[in-house]
Amino acid sequence: MTTVMIQEARARDTVGIFTQMADASTTAPPSGESAAAALEFLGEMSPDLRGAAILGPEGEVLAATEGEAERWREDAAALLAVADGAEDAPVEQVHIATEQGEVFAIRNAGLAAVAVTDRFALASLLLFDMRSMLRELAGGR
Amino acid sequence: MPPKPHRILLDRVSVYADEAAAFMRRRRISRRPFARLYYPHGRSADHAEDSRSGAELFVAAGRLIEVAGKKQKGKAGA
Repeated sequence: MTTVMIQEARARDTVGIFTQMADASTTAPPSGESAAAALEFLGEMSPDLRGAAILGPEGEVLAATEGEAERWREDAAALLAVADGAEDAPVEQVHIATEQGEVFAIRNAGLAAVAVTDRFALASLLLFDMRSMLRELAGGR
Repeated sequence: MPPKPHRILLDRVSVYADEAAAFMRRRRISRRPFARLYYPHGRSADHAEDSRSGAELFVAAGRLIEVAGKKQKGKAGA
């Protein structure tokens, strides 16, 4: 039953989902190397981090921690599609806490990032770091 | 006979430690799973686990937790 729901969400207008944001102002996506460096820095800043990915304007994975990049792309797109569909409006941030861990997603400056942490992570700090990371990547720093 | 000064200090520290432990215990108990979405201009919305959108969000989050696996820090690159 739940599998059906997620498949429905995937099928629902996932194309271009990353460009729906109001501040989609990135002209050229950052390189994979700079995204990987940013992700590594995020890992150093956040001891609770299990894994994360940075996605470009078209939803492509610019960098991801261990794990299949394709799965990160698919599952991040599915999460953002479901989140956007909840109130038919593009979300800026997502925070879902489960018994198994916590999931964060954020859109900023035309990019998106998703992160998975242990339970009881410091949510505000992590979201702040993720937002700063995307802003700096978009600014070419 | 009044208690010795170091006893007062130790008791006070242990009271603070008890309070901190109780706070952490309450926090863990009270913090149930939730799904919260944030929109521009500071608006946010909670989605209950038993609502349709909430259930979808938890399924999507579960898939990402699966992808991330256990703690895998330090290595990056798509």
